[in-house]
Amino acid sequence: MQQLSPSVLLVLVPALPLVGALLTMLLGRSLRSRAHLPAVVGIAAAAGVSLVLLAATAAQVGNSSDAHPEPVRPVEMITTLWQWATVEDAYAPPSGSEALVPGVVLPRDTSGVRAFSIPVALRLDPLTAIMLSIITCVGLLVAIYSIGYMHGDPGYARFFALFALFVFSMSMLVAASNFLIVYVFWEAVGACSYLLIGFWFRRPEAARAAKKAFLVNRVGDFGLAIAVFLLWMTYGTLDFHDTLSLDGTILPGILGQTRLADAGGIVGGAVGAAICLLLLLAACGKSAQLPLHVWLPDAMEGPTPASALIHAATMVTAGIYLITRSAPLFMACPGALAMVSIVGATTALVAALIAVVQNDLKRVLAYSTISQLGYMFASLGTGTMLGFTAAIFHLVTHAFFKALLFLGAGSVMHSMGGVIDMRRFGGLWRVMPMTAATFLAGACALAGVAPFAGFFSKDEILTSLHSKAFPSVHGNHGPESPAAETAHLHLTSWMHDGRLALDSSSTYGLDAIDRPEIWQILFWMSLVTAGLTAFYTFRAVFMTFTGPTRVPEEAGHHAHESPAVMTLPLVILAVLSAVAGWWLFSTHWLSHFLSATPSLTAPSVTRTVVPHLFHIDLAIQGTLAAAIGIAVAAIGHLGRRSDSPQMERFLGPLGSLFANKFFFDQIYTGLIVRPLEALALLAAIIDRSVIDRLVDWIATIPLGVGAIVRQLQSGLMQRYALAGVMGVLMIVLALAWQLRG
Amino acid sequence: MMSLLSMTSPAAPMSVLQNALIVGAILFTLGIVGILARRNLIVMFLSAELMLQGISVSLVAWSRYHGDYGGHVLVIFILAVAACEAAVALVFVLQAFGRTGRLDASAWQSLRESNLSWVVDRELPESDTVPPLWPTLAPAGVLPKADEDEPLQRKHV
Repeated sequence: MQQLSPSVLLVLVPALPLVGALLTMLLGRSLRSRAHLPAVVGIAAAAGVSLVLLAATAAQVGNSSDAHPEPVRPVEMITTLWQWATVEDAYAPPSGSEALVPGVVLPRDTSGVRAFSIPVALRLDPLTAIMLSIITCVGLLVAIYSIGYMHGDPGYARFFALFALFVFSMSMLVAASNFLIVYVFWEAVGACSYLLIGFWFRRPEAARAAKKAFLVNRVGDFGLAIAVFLLWMTYGTLDFHDTLSLDGTILPGILGQTRLADAGGIVGGAVGAAICLLLLLAACGKSAQLPLHVWLPDAMEGPTPASALIHAATMVTAGIYLITRSAPLFMACPGALAMVSIVGATTALVAALIAVVQNDLKRVLAYSTISQLGYMFASLGTGTMLGFTAAIFHLVTHAFFKALLFLGAGSVMHSMGGVIDMRRFGGLWRVMPMTAATFLAGACALAGVAPFAGFFSKDEILTSLHSKAFPSVHGNHGPESPAAETAHLHLTSWMHDGRLALDSSSTYGLDAIDRPEIWQILFWMSLVTAGLTAFYTFRAVFMTFTGPTRVPEEAGHHAHESPAVMTLPLVILAVLSAVAGWWLFSTHWLSHFLSATPSLTAPSVTRTVVPHLFHIDLAIQGTLAAAIGIAVAAIGHLGRRSDSPQMERFLGPLGSLFANKFFFDQIYTGLIVRPLEALALLAAIIDRSVIDRLVDWIATIPLGVGAIVRQLQSGLMQRYALAGVMGVLMIVLALAWQLRG
Repeated sequence: MMSLLSMTSPAAPMSVLQNALIVGAILFTLGIVGILARRNLIVMFLSAELMLQGISVSLVAWSRYHGDYGGHVLVIFILAVAACEAAVALVFVLQAFGRTGRLDASAWQSLRESNLSWVVDRELPESDTVPPLWPTLAPAGVLPKADEDEPLQRKHV
């Protein structure tokens, strides 16, 4: 491996699953029951390579103790594969003082006319290394699990081909160093998700769910597309990294080190806020946040391993990745950051409320995913280094325990013969002890029980929210008021031509959201959500695994523990859920490692770094919330009461509100789907009766003309001779006319 | 036309040319009219020959006008060709008569559009409803019957 340079290794990580996917597509039919081999081998190799890359990047970042936190240098390595598109002279900076977008003062580096250049460039930095490791390692475990789960399915080869294709797309998404390439693979993961949700496409529910997922994602993609356009217009480039132009000058990338070092490099104000809000829209679509969350619960129609990988660990984290990567852009717009947090915390609360009344185990986990993603968004929106690293920390631990929970649910579903309604089975810890134990580990991690992984990551999120809500408690870490922040910037930003090139303290109304009162509301919402999370998680655990053992008749002889190929990944993930959090937290390795990401070395982010303190009072609050949740769940559903309809009785009319998912689906159907259907019907009617009739009418014209001309064909030779003579006569007359005139 | 003719020096006076051309034109036109108006196949062929002769007259007139013998030579060619053509055409007429038993050009209408009807004469020529009276010989020794209403019967052979 020493001979392979990191750039080759970086290319291998997406390439190996791609080769696996292609081989599976080509050879799937002939490999039959061994069709999983190319895909699993490809993903396994990619997992190994990404761990090597992680180690290499970690070695480059180096260690630092908490006592002497020196400023971390950014670590990145760019590999350009080939130049995809070049349009010469596509970008011309505004001459003089008029700006390309009115009201926006452009960064100073718009010198000269520039080409539209999209290189297929991959980038290795700490954030990418972590994401790649998560994607490939969790992907590997889920792939191994799928060998057992999808056994005997007629689409076995197709599943693994799509699986490897998805791993390839997601790897490229997190490794790409250009916004347009990210957009391409953003769409690619959406397409793979559609194909995997609709894997059993002959079921109408699955086909409908796949369509819904794709269409809702499309709304987010629209946001991303407009954001890309705006980024191009504002910055003149779509690269993350700095590139060298032909004459030796550096063209700063949007998130490149040159621009980040320059205090006036990122555009704020209305355009910056627009870009950030559109990126937020894209992230909402992909990460299933309000109001684009409706596709995720229906996506449970797909195979459980697909749900585990895509809708728990990987694809839905693309939104988190995008916002973290664009951290410097968001830091210039405090209002947009607050919006991110508001969306996240609201989603977390709403999804937790809906999960409380779900009876389908997979639906509970789906809404739990939406809720946890909301937590990550809430943490991202705090705009502090702690917030960003806490979000990624939670992303990592969530990948572990949510994949574990989904795979456990799949194991239950597999042995219950396809039944997943918790009211129809119970007491399964006697039937499948290994699944029960690992599921319990995952549930503890999700609920935030110390020392499982979820506790630490959730604690960090709560800390970051608390630091924005009660700034004084956290010392000099609190965010200053916008006016103070501007004063700070006046001292440190570069004055160019007498103009201040950063416009963040604008009077736009959005920035007025960034007030401590709002953050306090968000903090309390998150705390309540933590309690609800613990409640619905353990309600699911108690209803499924405790109480008298009941097995539905569809199970037949299936009702036993899953084979080793399925329980081994469960065990590995359970171990990771248990220890990863403690290990990452106690060594503070993750936050130090992530701070070397170029996006997070921007001065606007590093300014918010605070020496890491473990706030014991917040940990106690979090644990108390979890404990209350678990206790209420135990009172309602433990043991003999495991199948009693406690929630329906307790909540009454509120319960039907939650069970109907706050009527989002009904509102969308009435507001969007029905009008579109009516429009489509109108278009169909116009097409049939107006346009088709017009075409048919035009077709009768030659028929009519022909009917007239047909009379000439009489069969009488003399009439034909007459026609010839008339023709000659006309020619003679014409000649005579010519000669006369 | 006058301006064109005055460009060369004629070998014959203009009036001769004009008269001969008029004759030729008349012959040609009569030929065309005959083809278009007559239904008898042989008469149609006759009219075609008439057209040829009209052209021959015009050719002779032109070549006499120019003092060139080319036109005369061409007319000899035309006569020879017309003779061959006559042979071929009369074979066709015989074949046509053999198939339909009629020399009527309107007997051949099959190659027409399917929705058009057969073109027939509005009035058929009156068929002879009176059967022909053939002369009969009286048997020996018997006087033949004399009919005063039949003036056509001759009293003597």
